[in-house]
Parts: sequence; structure tokens; C-alpha cells
Amino acid sequence: MSTAPTELPSEANSQQAQQAEQSQQSQQAEQAIQPERTQTQTQTQTQVQKPAQNDKSTKGDAAEAAKPQKLSGAELKAKAKAEKAARRAQAKVSKEVAKGEAAVSSAPGQLGPSAGEVKGGKAKGKQDGGSTTTSGAAGRPAVSKGPVPVVPAEPKFTIPECFSHLSMAKRIPITQADKDVHPTVLALGQQMATFTIDESITRLKATLLAFKKVINSYTTPPGNTLARHLTPHVLNPQIDYLTACRPMCFSMGNAIRWLKLQVSKIDPDVPEAEAKKQLCSSIDTFIQERISMADLVITEKTSEKIQNHDVILTFGRSTLVEQVLLQAYTIAQRKFTVIVLDDPYERKGQTLAKNLTAAGLRVSYCGDFGGLRYYLQSVTKVIVAAESMFNNGSMYARSGTCDLAIAAKQLDLPVIVLCETVNITERVSTDSLTYNEIDPERSSSASFRLLYDTTPDKYLSLIISELGTVQPTSVPDLLRKLEESN
Amino acid sequence: MAPPKGGYAPDLDKFLDTLKSRPVDASVEFLISLLKRRQIRGSESCAIATAHILLQVVAKDKWSDVDQLIGRVQLVGRKLVTAQPHELVIGNIVKRVLGLIRDEASEDRNDTGSDSPTDRTPTLPPAIEPIPLSKQTRLPSLVALGSFARTQSMFNLLSDPDFVPSPGSTPKLGSGASTPQGYPQSTNIHALRSEVIDGIEEIMDEIRQVDEQVQAYAEIVIHPGDYVLVHQPSRTVQKFLLRAASKRKFTVFLVVDPSAASTEDDPYSSLRKSLSSSGSTVVNIMNVGLMAYMSKVNKVILGARAITKKGGVIVDSGAAVIARAAREQGRTVIVLGGVYKLSPDSRFHHEGLVEWGDPSKYVNFADGEMVGQVRVRNAIAEFIPTDLVNTYITNL
Repeated sequence: MSTAPTELPSEANSQQAQQAEQSQQSQQAEQAIQPERTQTQTQTQTQVQKPAQNDKSTKGDAAEAAKPQKLSGAELKAKAKAEKAARRAQAKVSKEVAKGEAAVSSAPGQLGPSAGEVKGGKAKGKQDGGSTTTSGAAGRPAVSKGPVPVVPAEPKFTIPECFSHLSMAKRIPITQADKDVHPTVLALGQQMATFTIDESITRLKATLLAFKKVINSYTTPPGNTLARHLTPHVLNPQIDYLTACRPMCFSMGNAIRWLKLQVSKIDPDVPEAEAKKQLCSSIDTFIQERISMADLVITEKTSEKIQNHDVILTFGRSTLVEQVLLQAYTIAQRKFTVIVLDDPYERKGQTLAKNLTAAGLRVSYCGDFGGLRYYLQSVTKVIVAAESMFNNGSMYARSGTCDLAIAAKQLDLPVIVLCETVNITERVSTDSLTYNEIDPERSSSASFRLLYDTTPDKYLSLIISELGTVQPTSVPDLLRKLEESN
Repeated sequence: MAPPKGGYAPDLDKFLDTLKSRPVDASVEFLISLLKRRQIRGSESCAIATAHILLQVVAKDKWSDVDQLIGRVQLVGRKLVTAQPHELVIGNIVKRVLGLIRDEASEDRNDTGSDSPTDRTPTLPPAIEPIPLSKQTRLPSLVALGSFARTQSMFNLLSDPDFVPSPGSTPKLGSGASTPQGYPQSTNIHALRSEVIDGIEEIMDEIRQVDEQVQAYAEIVIHPGDYVLVHQPSRTVQKFLLRAASKRKFTVFLVVDPSAASTEDDPYSSLRKSLSSSGSTVVNIMNVGLMAYMSKVNKVILGARAITKKGGVIVDSGAAVIARAAREQGRTVIVLGGVYKLSPDSRFHHEGLVEWGDPSKYVNFADGEMVGQVRVRNAIAEFIPTDLVNTYITNL
């Protein structure tokens, strides 16, 4: 599971390249159809010709080989592609568009076929919706330039007024993305919007890997320095796009702040290639230290806490908790049983239950919170993974975790929270409606669903992070430790 | 899964239809099987079915004295209670009917002066209530039920669900001193029969009228602008909301059954329609953990399946979590339920008490890995302890 996000962007990228070729052809057709163009557009098109040739020459090669060659032109290509994408949205009658869309929607390789279909259908639906506005030829050049006005994800859906301050993931069609958005990021945005990449830490990892690609394909325009130009002109559009696809999680916020700091720290005298190398290696180190090693340490520490004859209850499916349980069973050789409590709307716990039983663990599964008290009577420890921790010790986690923690605390059961320090935010939250996210898939005109809730520190017993095991009230200490180590 | 419209699966209506044409014993067996298969579900349906079958027992069975009748009702009652021990209302109704019979019998015994059944009402001593025929006179019989101490001996009769009677055994009478040990044999059987039948019909009327009486409190409870959270509202709760909505505007957070939420048909669409037509808002909440909403919610309204002696409430699965969250946030938890749901039974109920049911609600039987390896459990009803409830609203 943990390797999947690393592969995804590259895979998506290669598909993007293919798709770019397709659209190249379509664009030529378009040129024939639409002779009238503004000056800026023709300029970009001439620029496009070069990478296009470049692309064709490498067509026979493996996708990996193509990437380093593209380096110089990739940025332009990305721009041109996004622009083309915008144009394609207008010329939706042509068949290539449909083909391109299909390619795009299948680009996130891990998407189930159904999800892909849904998305394709949605994107198309939106194009049709937009056709009335863009069919006026006068607006055409303007559209291709700036970010396209954001169309609400589901027009029929009205958020109840009392929740209108909360944000929601939107499926922005790739065609409506800003032209500066890198193809890898485009794909990643779609994956986030469809919740294919869902967990905070996986999103963070995928984002960093995608940004590495962005940085690799970046060329400083003449008269600019990398430190000054990269963040506002290249990184920010990517970040904006990702945020528009799905509200950033706290870990992404933390990492992006860190990345921007790294960029600004680069000496203007350092040659560009050297600077890019520096940035990429520091991203690699960040992933290594803050994600991979952190997970390893947390897994190790937590599996030590599991004793023989324990009954562990966990909620939903978290990769980290799964690793902990598997490690405790297979490596630490503990004999214990697991109760998987699940959210009936997501049912990810079923996957966890299957994975655990496949390893040989004894698992009970309960689909909802009915009879929770009964289950808890036999439980000895509750282990949950946090999406994030607030500075006041509150835990931000999958909706329902709070109810579980309350019930567990009433029975004096230890509630153990697993959280990488990168997920800790300096913000403070006292209720679940300050920071939250609306589930776009299950919210409609009639129904509403929150994705997360906030558990006050008094219901938690222990926070296990890679920097130490602390009480929930000591979360600020972890933050201080982090600052010192940096 | 669902049988076709007017399908073959029997339910309460079908049961009531066949009641007249069948012999009593067959009907009893039929009802027992319906209860066991959970084809009659929900406390109201169970209560009505029980009342009907007891009516048949009283009306059709041959009995020559009161003891025989009481024994017969006890026997049927025990069978029904064993068939669905989680539905406490069945026991409640049986106890009500038994109490009714005893009251009548003792009246007849005391009422030495009158041997004509036609002029029973005026000649009854004032201390003993006549058979309730009008709305006002229903009250005393309910009070008798509500005050457990006074009628203790009556309730002890059925308090042991483990006791499975052998058919034909001598009915075990209550040991309490207040229970008359012997009824006069010379009682006018016909008069007693018709009075008991009237009494049972009165109970049925009461069950039917609970909703209307409970909803009279709606305006007191729900204020304009409130955020009210309800969990899988029963008809009682729905009517309660509707009554409140006719006077004021508020927001309802409706927690739906997760398994039903994925299907298209909304069981609460009529509620939604009528609430929104009167200006209130209904929001279906698709979460199982409701703590996230509690900071917004003013009141939680739950419909009871049964209320036990100590005040604990048996509710649909999922409501206990809501009650606990509400308690943690200091929100009011209001439980609605007719008095017929109040049960003197409390020994076997604690927080761990859960009724388990169909595990295929969330896990498909086709999912071999889950079915073969994982223990899947699904709760249907659970228990809310007294301290999580603020107020009970009944029809009294």
C-alpha cells in the first residue's frame, strides 16, 4: 500500500504523455477549424511545436527514458497542455475529446473501473453544462488564460446553512484546471478529489513526490532566480489546484510551508541544476524521516504495547494501525484478538478485517456503532490513527472516533492514538465544526455527512508519535521538540 | 429481499386478518412463529398483536372460572414472551390483561349485591374503577400499571422468562398477599368475559392513541430555531416533530439507518415533505458517530422500544451512541414512548444487553473471506441507561 503512491504519479505521467500526443493531433485539427486566434495563443502554440517533436522522437522509448529528455520542454509542454485542455473543453464536439477524456479518467491507475466511469461521466456532464457559457465566441481567449471560474461540484447540492463554513472536495475537470498545473499534479488532484488517495499521510507523500517532479521539470525563466520565481509562479498554482480538488490536510500544509522555506533558502548563486538537486534530495529526506521512518518507529513502539491475550478494538481502516497489528502478530508473536469497528458508509474496515484474517489473526467485525458498549466490555485497548492532532491535544480523526473514545473512556479503557508528527498542527480546535470536511459523495440535497470529528484530549490516553509517546496534553511539547530539531 | 407487494411473507395485517377464521391455538402458534421470525417487529405492532391474540383467548376459549382464564392467559403470555424476549411490550400487555381480569373478578366477588350484568356500572363501589369505556376512565388502569409497588404481585407473575411452563400445568398464581387466592366460582362468566373483552379493546385503543397524546407535548419541548436530532424516528417521533413544525420552524437532523441510506427510497420522504412545507429544515445525517454534530444540536429525541423499571430505555441500535454523545455535551435527551412500553421488568437489562440480528446488513454473504473467517455481529436493539436520559414523555 505504501509503495502505491510512489508509483502512481509516474504511471499517470506516462499516460499524460500519451494523452498529450493525442491532443496534439486534435489540436492540429482544431487549428484548421478555428483560424482566428489571439496573439498569445499563437505564441504558445509555436512553443508547443518543439516539445511535440521531442515527444515524438521519444515515442518508441520507455516512458522513463522520455522523462529526462523532456525536462527542458516539459514546463512549456505542461502549460500548452493545460491550455489545450481548456480549448478542448470548448471544442467538445470532436471525437478526440472524448478519447482524451477517457484517457484522463483512466489515468489514475488505481481507480476502480466504476470510479473512472463515474468521473468521466461527471466531467463530461460538466462540459455540457459549461457549453452554454463558453459557446459565445467572444469569451474564448479569456478562458484559455486565467483560471476558469469554478463551477460548483454538484449544483443540486445545497449545504445546510449551519455547515456552510466547511469545505468540500470538488471534482474539477482537468480541462478547467489552471494552465500552469503540472500533469502529475493534475492526476494527483483527481485522485484526491475521488478519495483514491485518502489518508493524510498518503496524500502528503504523493504530494511531495509530485512536487519533486514539478521541480525537476522546472526551468527558471531568464532574468529570474529560482528562489524567487519557483514558489509564486510554479508551486502556488499547483497548490491552489490541489486545494481546490480537496481541502488540504494539515500535514500537507505543514510540508508545503516547509518546502517553501527550503526554496527560499536556496542561494541565488547556486546553479539551477544544483539547486533542483538540493531541493529534490531534501524532499527525499523529508519523506524518509517524517513519513517512512516515522511510520516504522510508531509501528515498532505500538506493537510493543500489545500484550498477549489483549483484545484490540480499532475503527475503520488505517494503514498504520494495520501495520501495527500485523507486526505485533507476525514479528512480535503476540497472541491477541482484534475487533474491527466500522463506519457503515465507508466499510473500509472490511478490508482491514480481511487483511488481518489473511495473516492469521482472529477478528470480529461490527458494521456500525450498535452495541458498542457490549464490544467494549471485552476490549482491553483501543487503537486509532489520527488524521491530525491539534495543539491543545484534541484529535482530528475519522468521524465516529470521538464517540468511540467517549465510550471507551467511560469504561476506563486506554485509547491509544497513532500520529506522525508531521500531522500535528499548531491550530487549536475545541469542537468538530471548526475544521471539518463535507463528504461530497454522500452529501446531496437531502443528506449530509461530515468526514471527521474532533476528540477532546480528555478522552484520549496516549499519543504515540515518532518523537515519543506522550499524553494528549503534551502535544505542544512534541511541536517544540520538532522546532528544536529543525 | 423484499417480498412483492402483497407478497407471501406474513405480517401484522395478515395475522389480524386470519385471526377470526382460525382456532385460537392455531393463531397463537402462528403469532409465535411470526414473532420468532421477526415478521412482526416494532413495539407497537407487537403490542397490538398481543392484545388481539389475548382478546381471542378470552373470547373464544372455553373457561368456566377465573382461575382457568388467568391460567390460560398466563400460558399464552409466557409463550409469546419466550418467542420474542427482547420485546418487553408483549409482557406488558399480558400483564395488563391479567390485571384486568383480576380486577374484574375481585369486583364481581365484592359486588355481592348485583348479579345482573347489565347494571354493573352504577352499582360498583367507587373505590374500584369500572371497566373503562370512555377516555377519562382509562387513566386509573394506567396508574395501576405505572405505580409498580401497588401491583407488585401482579407483575411478578411473568417476571421469570426462563420459566417455561408445561402445557396444562396448574397456573402459578402470584405469591403476593394482595392477590385473592380464590375467586368465587359462581361469577357470571358472560359478564366477566364481555367486561374483559371491553378492557382489552380499551388497551388497543390506548395503544393507537399514544401518538396523538404524546405529540401534545411537542410545542413545549421544541422551540423555534432549535436543532433537533432524531434517530431513525418511529411514527411517534415523526408525529411529534410534525406537530411542533405546525407551530414553529426548526431544523431536524435525521439520523438514518445506514443500510437503508444507500437505497433510493427514503422511508422518511413524507416526513421530510411535510416538515419542509411548514418551513422547517430536515437534514439527513449520514454519520454513525454523532459527536461532531452535538455542539450544534439542542435536543435529542429518541423513540423507545421499551422503558424498564429503573428508567433504562431499549432503543434501536445506534441510538445509545447518540445518547452518550449528547450527555457528554450536556444536551437534552428526550425519550418518547407510550405508557404501554413501560415495563416492570428490569433484572435482565443492563448496558451490555443487545439484541443481535441479521449479520448480512453490512457484510454480504457472498463475501467468502468475511463470512468464513471473521465474526460478524450486528446489533438490532440496545440499551440506554437511565443516567443518559433527561426526560421521558408518555401519554399520561
